[in-house]
Amino acid sequence: MTHAAPTRETYFISDDDLRALTGELLGAGTEVIAPVAVDVCASPSAIASSACLRPGVKPIDIEYRALEGAAELDLSRGLPVLSLKQYFLPEYEALCGWREHGIEVEIDAVPTEFAPRVVLAAKPCDSAALAVVDKVMNWDYQDELWNGRREATTIVNMACPVIDESCFCTAVGTAPDDDKGADALLTPVEGGYLMEATTDKGRALVEAHAARFKAATDAGGAEQRGRQAAEERAAARVRVAANLEIDAASVRDWIDTHFEDPLLAALGVRCNGCGACSSVCPTCHCFDIVDEEEGIGKGTRRRCWDTCQAPTFTLHASGHNPRDSQNPRYRQRINHKFSVYPLKFGEVLCTGCGRCTRVCHAGQDLVEILQAIDVAARRPEVAAT
Amino acid sequence: MSDSIDINGAAAGLFEPRITAFVCNWCTYTGADLAGTSRLHMASNVRIIRLPCTGRIDPLFIIKAFERGADGVIVSGCHPADCHYTSGNYHARRRFAVFHDIMEFIGVDPRRMTFSWVSASEGAKWRDVVNEAVTNVRALGPFAAYRALAPEGAGRAAPAGPSAAAVPASAGAKAEAS
Amino acid sequence: MNELRELARTLLTDGTVRVIIGWEDARRGARPAFVTDPADADRLIFDTRCVHNLVTYLDPRRDNVAELGKIGLVVKGCDAKAIAGLLREAQLNRDDVVLIGVRCGGVLEENELPAAVPLTPENVAPRCYGCDNREPALVDHLLGEAQPEPPRPVTTIDERVAALDAKPLEERWAFWTEQFGKCVRCYACRQVCPLCVCERCVAEKTRPQWIEASAHPRGNMSWNITRALHLAGRCVDCGECERFCPVGIPLSLMNRKLQQIVGERYGYTVSDDPENAAPIGDYRLDDKQEFIK
Repeated sequence: MTHAAPTRETYFISDDDLRALTGELLGAGTEVIAPVAVDVCASPSAIASSACLRPGVKPIDIEYRALEGAAELDLSRGLPVLSLKQYFLPEYEALCGWREHGIEVEIDAVPTEFAPRVVLAAKPCDSAALAVVDKVMNWDYQDELWNGRREATTIVNMACPVIDESCFCTAVGTAPDDDKGADALLTPVEGGYLMEATTDKGRALVEAHAARFKAATDAGGAEQRGRQAAEERAAARVRVAANLEIDAASVRDWIDTHFEDPLLAALGVRCNGCGACSSVCPTCHCFDIVDEEEGIGKGTRRRCWDTCQAPTFTLHASGHNPRDSQNPRYRQRINHKFSVYPLKFGEVLCTGCGRCTRVCHAGQDLVEILQAIDVAARRPEVAAT
Repeated sequence: MSDSIDINGAAAGLFEPRITAFVCNWCTYTGADLAGTSRLHMASNVRIIRLPCTGRIDPLFIIKAFERGADGVIVSGCHPADCHYTSGNYHARRRFAVFHDIMEFIGVDPRRMTFSWVSASEGAKWRDVVNEAVTNVRALGPFAAYRALAPEGAGRAAPAGPSAAAVPASAGAKAEAS
Repeated sequence: MNELRELARTLLTDGTVRVIIGWEDARRGARPAFVTDPADADRLIFDTRCVHNLVTYLDPRRDNVAELGKIGLVVKGCDAKAIAGLLREAQLNRDDVVLIGVRCGGVLEENELPAAVPLTPENVAPRCYGCDNREPALVDHLLGEAQPEPPRPVTTIDERVAALDAKPLEERWAFWTEQFGKCVRCYACRQVCPLCVCERCVAEKTRPQWIEASAHPRGNMSWNITRALHLAGRCVDCGECERFCPVGIPLSLMNRKLQQIVGERYGYTVSDDPENAAPIGDYRLDDKQEFIK
C-alpha cells in the first residue's frame, strides 16, 4: 500500500498551472513523457483500422509519449496501451557498436547518462513496476542503461480511478494511489490536483516550479479538497480490491511447493506463445541480445524484448529445450512472477495493471488463474471440489 | 549498340547507383561473362552474386541487399524451358511475380527491381539489361527511403535516449563494452 | 448449441475423441475451450463471438495439446480451409482429427463481450463479407441451421486495399513504414496462424541472420514482408493474425492483397478442398511474366 515517507508535503496545483508547468518544462528543453490521447483515425493511415471507417464513436488510444506541446497532455486517467517500461528498457537498444580492423576490434560504447526528463500523470501500477524491476537490474549486475534512465527521470503519478474488472493492483502489493517507484503523486480534486512530493527529486521539481504550487493548507477550500482526495482514493482501492483478493504470500508458497500440480501444469493449453502479454507488461524485462552486422566487419550489438512464452526462449545450442511445450512455459510465467521473484527479491513481479489479460485474445485470464491458485493455497478443501 | 549510355557518369557528377545482381550460374552468369570477354561497354555499377539457379533466390536476398545499401537489384536466369535444373526458373517466376507485386503494394518502386531471362549466349542482352537498370535506378536516385529505416538510438518510444545524453559516445576509443 | 453439446458428449463418452476443442464463455467473453469430461460439454457454445480459429491448436509442435489425446475440433468454414491447407502440406492426417463443422453467418469484429449480439454492418468482422464457405464441406459432422450471409461491413477489406492501391507509391510507403514501425516482434501473428507450422522459422535463423531480430523499422519491414509472402496462396483469411497483433497492424490488408495477386495471376482461390494445390510451389508453363525482361 502507500509507503509512509519521512516528509510528505502536500500542495495544490490548478489545472491551468499543471499545463503551464508542463509548458515550462518543455520550454526549458526537458523531455516530458505523459499520456497522450491518440486519435487513431486522424492519421493519414486511418485506412488501417476498419473502426475508423464506421460511423459513430472513433477509437482513441492512450499512449505514453514525449510531449511536443503542453496541450497534448491527456488527463483523462485512461490506461496507456503500453506501460512506461519502453522508456527505461526500450524495445530495442544498442549496447555497443563494433568495427573490425583486421584482427583488432574497436568497440563504440553507448552513453549511460541521460538528460533529465519528467514523466507526468504516470499510472501508479506502471511506476510501481519500475521499483520492482529495479531489484533485478541491480542484482548481480548493475544495469547502467536502466539505472541511468531511472536516475535521469522524475516521475509524477496520477491517482487512478481503476480501469475495469481486470485491474488487481491491491492484490499484489500496490494501490491505485501508490507512489512506489515514483517521486510524487497527483490526486484530482475540485479545480486541480493535490500533489504530494515523496522523494528529493519530487521536491526538487516542486521547488523549481514553485510559482505553480500553493501549499495545500493555504489554498481556499483546503479541508474539503483534502477530504475529497482521501475519499476518492479510498473508493478506488475498494473498487479494485473487489476484482481480486489474494494472499500473495500464500500464493507464493503454494507455487513453490506445487510445481507439478495439475493446476499449474495445464495452464498453457490455450496459450499461443505469442508474448503479447510480455510486451504490454510493465514488469516483464527479459531481453535477447543480438549482434546485427550492418556492413563488412561492422555492426551493432543490441538487446531487444524477449518473452519466456516464445518456444525458443530456452532452446539450447545443443537442440535441447527444457521448456519445449506451452504448459511449462506458461507455468514459468506464473512461477517467476508470483513465486521465484518474490522469494528472491521480496517483490511480486506484477503490479496488477491487467494489460496481459486484456491483450490476450486466446482468453488467458490472470485474475482467474490467481484466484484459482489462491483458493488452492488457502482453501484446498474448496479447490478439491 | 548502347554507347549512348554515359558509363562515365561519375565523372559528370551524377549519382552512381549500387546495384546487386542475383544471377543463375548456367545462363545469366555465363552470359555476363560473355559480355565481358566480348568487351561490350556497359555500366560498372553492378555487383554480381552467382547462384546455381534462380529457383534458389529467396526474396530475403533482395531485402537484405536493400538493407545493406543497394539502390536497385537485378534477378536474372535461364529462359523458361531452358533451366539447367528443369523447373527452378518456373518456381522463381511465380515467387518473384508475387514478390514484385507485393513490394509495389508496400511502396517500393518496381523500377528498382529488374527481372530478366538472359541466356549464356546473350551477352548483348545482359549489357542492355544492366545499362537499362542503371539508367532507371540512377533516375530514381539513392534508395534513401530504405536506408532511413535504419535504427537510431534506442526503441521506438525513446528515440532521444542515448543521443540526448550529456556524455558523448566514446567513439574510436578501444573502450570496454558496457 | 444443444446439438453441439450433445454431439460433444457422445463423442467423448464413446471414446471417439479424448478432447473437444471448441469455444466457451469466460469472464472476458468467448474463448477456446478444451473439454475432456462429457459432463463439461455444456460449457461449449457457438455464437457470433466465436472468432478464434481453433485449427492453430493442431500445430504438430503443440505437444501439450496433442498429449490430451485424439481431438474433436469445432470449425467454421474459414477454419476448415486451414485444415485443408495442413492436409495439402502433409502436416496433418485426416484420420487424426474429428471435424465438427458449424454453419456460420459471420462473427463479430469486437468479440470480447459478455454476451453475443446480432451482426450489423458496424460490428461484423470485415473478413466475413463474401464468405464462400458458410457450410464447410471438409467435416465429419455439420451442425446448426443454415445461416444468412454476413452483412456487408461499412467498408470492406477489398475497398480498403483498393484505396491503398489508388494512392501514389510514396504514400503507400509512408503508410506501411508507419504500420510496420509499430511492430514489437512478439510474433503473435505467426504463433496464432494455423498455417505457420514450420519446425524452425526463418526469423529464428541466426547463421546467417536474414531477418534482423530487433524491433527496429528495418528489421520489422523484413519480418512483415516475409510473413506475408510465406502465406501467399495459403492464407485462409481467418483474420487471427490481425486480431492478435497487440499494436494493431492491419495485416488483413497485406493478406488480402496477396490473395488478389494469386487470384489474378493464377486463378487461385483458397478453399477447403485439399486436392486443390496451392499456387506457390506449383507452376504452369504459360505463367504471366510481364514484369520479366
